[in-house]
Amino acid sequence: MGWRSLSRSVVGTRHQHRQLPCQDAGGSRILGDITIGAIADGAGSASQSEIGANLAVKTTLDYLTNLEQWLQPDDQHPGWPTLVRSPTEPQIKRLFERTTHKVRETLKQQAEQNGYGFEDLASTVLAFVATPHWFAAMQIGDGFIVGSSGDGTYQLMFQPDKGEFVNQTTFVTASTALEDLQFRVVSGAPKFICAATDAFERLALKTQDWSTYAPFFKPLEEYLLETPNPEEEDTYIMGFLNSEHLNSHTDDDKTLLLCLYESSGL
Amino acid sequence: MPVGLPEFVQNPENRCPVILLLDTSGSMVGEAIEALNQGVRLFRENIQADTKASLSVEVALITFGPVQLVQDFVTIDQFEPPTLVADNVTPMGEAIEYALDLLTARKEIYQSNGIQYYRPWVFLITDGAPTDPWQDAAARIHQGELDRKFCFFSVAVEGADMKTLRQIAPPDRPPVLLNGLDFQALFVWLSKSMKRVSSGKVGEVLALPPVGWGQITM
Repeated sequence: MGWRSLSRSVVGTRHQHRQLPCQDAGGSRILGDITIGAIADGAGSASQSEIGANLAVKTTLDYLTNLEQWLQPDDQHPGWPTLVRSPTEPQIKRLFERTTHKVRETLKQQAEQNGYGFEDLASTVLAFVATPHWFAAMQIGDGFIVGSSGDGTYQLMFQPDKGEFVNQTTFVTASTALEDLQFRVVSGAPKFICAATDAFERLALKTQDWSTYAPFFKPLEEYLLETPNPEEEDTYIMGFLNSEHLNSHTDDDKTLLLCLYESSGL
Repeated sequence: MPVGLPEFVQNPENRCPVILLLDTSGSMVGEAIEALNQGVRLFRENIQADTKASLSVEVALITFGPVQLVQDFVTIDQFEPPTLVADNVTPMGEAIEYALDLLTARKEIYQSNGIQYYRPWVFLITDGAPTDPWQDAAARIHQGELDRKFCFFSVAVEGADMKTLRQIAPPDRPPVLLNGLDFQALFVWLSKSMKRVSSGKVGEVLALPPVGWGQITM
């Protein structure tokens, strides 16, 4: 029982041809009945964006994990798992604003220490906290987070943040990052979560109404259901991420972060 | 039980709109209009030859004067380059406003159909001087560029009123004076640029090919 998860980032064929590194990053932490996840997509125009994306993911996960540990149940503080009622919107807003702030501070420090500009680390940031009672998420930029209660339907948490044009988005390094931050909390336990960078947007979501396409998500959910240790058994997901079929639809870097909650046996 | 691979949505192609705004006034008669016609045909062939661009690029063609919508927005496979004839005056102001209205209407169609699109291009080619008021049109161009709603390019053929054209063109994108009647090189450049625009990725800076067909005049 409990959470199982895996995150994989694979360089796109376009970057491969130009011998550029993968500018995507992703990761997750499992803390008892809670899972915390984050992914980031470094801007193609930013010179150090693979560092930016990796640091954004690490900072987000560290920050949310520390906060969770600080909130572990003791006499004073209820832990997140025991928070049966969802946090309020203002609480979630504050949580993710602080997360964003922390990421920006860390990236600024990194830039200063290494003599490059803050904007050189430009990256999107998507993150979530899932507990047995609620599911909270944030997003700056494009890409998507989808949750499912295990009933075969998949709920998109946010529309990808695009400008007017298809090749525009916002980044955590933008001066407007806090205004661009999308956040949301939903009650109920998510059983399956999929976070993905924008390479998958046009493959998994219908752009007409931003509805989710179940035949994209269903096999990924089934794979996790059948795979007790996905981190060690990633052949299926790596096969998919490196497949000709996928590469014929996108030449972009691609990241998938998948989480599944297995309830205790009957 | 073996798991199948994720299936993909069939979404409509991203669109890359471009408006050709062509001066067909009397002064273009003869060699100039011939070369322009050939240039437009070459543009079509070059885009058609690129799989990705041929699916994305949508072209509309407006001539002046009088202001005429010769071809509303179509994908390149449906674009039959017309044979343009030069006569009449140069209502450039009206033509520009018509083009910007056409673009706004096109964007609304994209938006209501959930079609994603790239920043549109308006490409003005002229050898003359406006014979109508152009100040309002110029103001709309400058504002639109400032708001990053479109990219406005102006190309002057020898004999064009450069002084006025410089006031019409966006400050950051001054008019380019075409080398002689080298429309061929101009349209090859335009098709190359469209290929780059239509494969543009999120967060990447678009580098346009070098302008080998004219002089940028400040």
